[in-house]
Amino acid sequence: MSALRGRLGARLGPWLCDAGVIVAIGVFVVWSIAPLVWLVLSSILPQLSLIARPPQISPVHWTLDNYVTVIGSAAALGQGMLNSFIVASFTTAVALALGAPAAYALARLSVPRSDAVVLLILATQMLPAIAIAIPLFIVIARFGLIDTRLALIIVYLSFNLPIVIWILRGFFLGIPVGLERAAAVDGAGVIRTFWMIVLPISVPPLCAAVVFAFIESWNEFFFALILTRQNAETVPLVIAAFAGQYQTVFGQMMAAAVISIAPVILLAILSRNHIVRGFAEGMLKG
Amino acid sequence: MRDDITHLFSRRTLLQGAAGAAAIGGFSGLASRPARAAETALDVFAPLPPDPSPPGAAKFGEAAFAAWQQAHDAKVKYELLAWPQLHDRMATAFASGTSEWDVVYMCAWVPEFIDFIVPYADKLPPSTVADMPVSSFKTVTWDGKRYGAVFTLSLLTLFYNTEHFEIAGLKEPPKTWDDLKRYTKELTRDGRYGWVLDYADSAGIGGTASYWMCFLQQAGGTMYGPDGEPVFNSDAGVAALQMMMDLMKLGTDPGSMSYAGINDATNVLLAGRASMMMNWPYMWKPAQDPKQSKIIGKLGGAILPAGPAGSASIDGTDAWTVTATCKDPALATKLIDFYLSPEVQKRQALDTGWLPIRISVLGDPEVQKALPNASIVLEQAKHPYNSFVTQNYNQITQAIGTEIQKALQGRQSAKQAMANASEQVTQIIKHS
Amino acid sequence: MGSSLTVVRAGASARAEPTGRSVSGTFEQRRRRVGIGFVLPALLVLAAVLGFPIVQSLLLAMQHVRLAAGHMHVRWIGWENYTDLLADDSFVLALANSIFFSLGEVVLVTSIGLGAALLLNHRLGRFGILRVLLIVPWAIAPVANAVLWKWILNANYGVLNAVLKSLGIIDHYVVWLGEPMRALTLLLLVDVWKSVPFIALLFLAGLQRIPRILYRAAVLDGANGWQRFRFVTLPGLRNAITIAVVLQTIWSLRVFDLVFVLTRGGPADGTVLLNFLAYRVTFNFLDIGSGAAIANVIFAMSFLLAILYIRLLQPTKREPAS
Repeated sequence: MSALRGRLGARLGPWLCDAGVIVAIGVFVVWSIAPLVWLVLSSILPQLSLIARPPQISPVHWTLDNYVTVIGSAAALGQGMLNSFIVASFTTAVALALGAPAAYALARLSVPRSDAVVLLILATQMLPAIAIAIPLFIVIARFGLIDTRLALIIVYLSFNLPIVIWILRGFFLGIPVGLERAAAVDGAGVIRTFWMIVLPISVPPLCAAVVFAFIESWNEFFFALILTRQNAETVPLVIAAFAGQYQTVFGQMMAAAVISIAPVILLAILSRNHIVRGFAEGMLKG
Repeated sequence: MRDDITHLFSRRTLLQGAAGAAAIGGFSGLASRPARAAETALDVFAPLPPDPSPPGAAKFGEAAFAAWQQAHDAKVKYELLAWPQLHDRMATAFASGTSEWDVVYMCAWVPEFIDFIVPYADKLPPSTVADMPVSSFKTVTWDGKRYGAVFTLSLLTLFYNTEHFEIAGLKEPPKTWDDLKRYTKELTRDGRYGWVLDYADSAGIGGTASYWMCFLQQAGGTMYGPDGEPVFNSDAGVAALQMMMDLMKLGTDPGSMSYAGINDATNVLLAGRASMMMNWPYMWKPAQDPKQSKIIGKLGGAILPAGPAGSASIDGTDAWTVTATCKDPALATKLIDFYLSPEVQKRQALDTGWLPIRISVLGDPEVQKALPNASIVLEQAKHPYNSFVTQNYNQITQAIGTEIQKALQGRQSAKQAMANASEQVTQIIKHS
Repeated sequence: MGSSLTVVRAGASARAEPTGRSVSGTFEQRRRRVGIGFVLPALLVLAAVLGFPIVQSLLLAMQHVRLAAGHMHVRWIGWENYTDLLADDSFVLALANSIFFSLGEVVLVTSIGLGAALLLNHRLGRFGILRVLLIVPWAIAPVANAVLWKWILNANYGVLNAVLKSLGIIDHYVVWLGEPMRALTLLLLVDVWKSVPFIALLFLAGLQRIPRILYRAAVLDGANGWQRFRFVTLPGLRNAITIAVVLQTIWSLRVFDLVFVLTRGGPADGTVLLNFLAYRVTFNFLDIGSGAAIANVIFAMSFLLAILYIRLLQPTKREPAS
């Protein structure tokens, strides 16, 4: 801005700028991962070290006891992860199967009042879970679905469908119309065009939708608490079980948490590039 | 009962004539539930260990439990849930009229859920009932009928660090409020605090309001008059709160205001950075566990210091109840009698640290040796320990606890807090 | 290329777009029929699962529904639940807390998320590992996250105090959750920490879509760094910002786990947010009608704020460009 800065800047500017960026990245990394470092540390420390002041984090105290106990004693964790996996996978798959055509139709197929429909779909996400818990419970109970994975899949579907539709609809709006016209000229029907032309070029946003729906279903707590008993218990409930009325076994709880996020992280790593591109294509087009 | 409630709920909806109403009308037709299995099975809803859990769920009395099931040709199925989530799941199931449990754990919730449970406790064998403290039935009695049986004598008593006492030259536990205040002040040194407790959560058993109820009774006060109207806005009520405020100033861990569960406070005592606290009998065992405690062999216990009216405590009220939809109430009663049998009670005490409720087992030399605090709790039980449980317990303790917290933060005087709380409680009672 | 309307608005363009005069009317009708066929299953699922609960919750809010002494008391009372709320101090406090929380969260998450995205889009910040790191806080189960923070913030043995003290930033251990305002602010920061990853990813994706050529043109016009940000980056991110703000508003009004685990609404109701109050009234006080009324207030707030933000951030309704 000033003349001084202009002259100095010519030499120092880029260098200073880079230094600033590196410092800022450092700050951001610390902000992001410091709590995670503590998450992992507390999972390998005995309770005594954790209630010491300051906490004793030296490697001398490190132990895998918490993991051994959690894996050994809690068959519940394995069962919970299996349940979560089944529920999250099915929810994600069905959400995609129903959401993709709906998103395409809302983007392209002259559905009447599509503005209002999309706003309505967004609005279903605005009512807090607590408000619908008891009525929903009644419905699920009437169908005899309490403590089934099916109940969770159905309920989670209703929360993930709107998100999936949002992401995918934005993407479909951005596909050049020419592609579909060409297909139409070649005599392909709407369904065929969607299946053969639109879906194959939509892999990135589909990936984004998958990660979204999967993480949300994997971690959902409140409905899992109310709608399951023993059989369909999911991972968040297993983790919550380490916090009791009189005692919280913190280290074990954190060990369980670390184990439980592994699959999600794996999914995130596998699809990290797709996610970014997926968001870009999906939510920002339009 | 279950069907009545469901019906009420759905009929009400139908009457509103809304679109959704047609839906549930349709559901009613589909509501045929799977037929119940012919063999006798009992569904028991209980907290996960280490909170008070039944034999076979917690690690004690497994063999006896298996034998009992065989002898009665019954299968007992446990549904276990972390304690903090019990009430939510129960409320949802009861409110929607779809509970399928036969035996349910309760903690101060008996009046709330009174129509969903039955007054079975009078049918327990007289020999069992005679061996239980009469006042333990207080929180499970409604309209003169006994709806539950408390299975562990869980009263707040005083726990303290004997090493800190020695350093400060204190020979015996505090006996009076004055002692307690003086001790708190003297023990607050070297980065330690004289007193620690969890004051962040207002409501429920173990909430701030319930702690104040100990002091209230020690000061000679009570919550309700003969007609159920609140009478705690009294000299005793104010004195009780003033006592808590004094302790706060004299040497309570300031973190106490932010601890939202007793284990936050317990950890501070176990780490040796606080000298005294009120806690439940369960705490004795973890305090002797080298994995969690730095004060092994340094934990002392005593009854709560006496106020103007003597010592007093509150009841943790961990109880078994039988639901109104129970498939086999007679068998359920037998199961609870089994839970209360001397052998199971003894294993419960020795293996889990949860004290028995049977006076005879509390006096058992082996139990007394393993759990030295058993005799202290038994002594505490000779003094009042009313938790003043009513059907609005959560709402009332929420209101009182919030006013107490403001006073503890110095935002209002004890007198103001009591006046505000009393006004709110009057409103709550009037509205229900 | 598509227009740059928001997702919500874009429906208008979609209708206008695909068919020109060259395509026959029957073709258009067929597309519409197929379209309805495509949308219906999703709408039916949403209606089947959420329709009854949502209508029921609206109705419940107009009734006195209370599970007291084991009875389900049900009585039609019209707007009384709502008028009662206005007279209820804890509701008013929760409303104020929620407004503070929601505004704070939207502002902080958007700005930190934007900053993070700019950094990760910088040539020095483009490591895959950074992006994975970015996702992790989002992947932790909310329950575990809340307990983790409860221990970090513990006033006596929490690691935050230990770290800050060893760095000389504080003299005494601080009771982070001991005073209403401080506790609320801390809850806000924790939730910001948890929410930034998704929003940052969103912005990062948005940044990558801004054509490089716009920056080059700006440089040629003599724009400095700030001007490039102001006149190229921000307009390019407008849609992303709208979506972030709307979603974050909805989510911030639904925060529950953190309050439940860290403070239980204490001390002195200082951290009671509307959604926690709705929970407390419904499940602890078993006053189901009143709880539904609070939930509906949250719904109305989310809805109005969403529409308001969309209007503010998308001031002009542009015509479809293709």
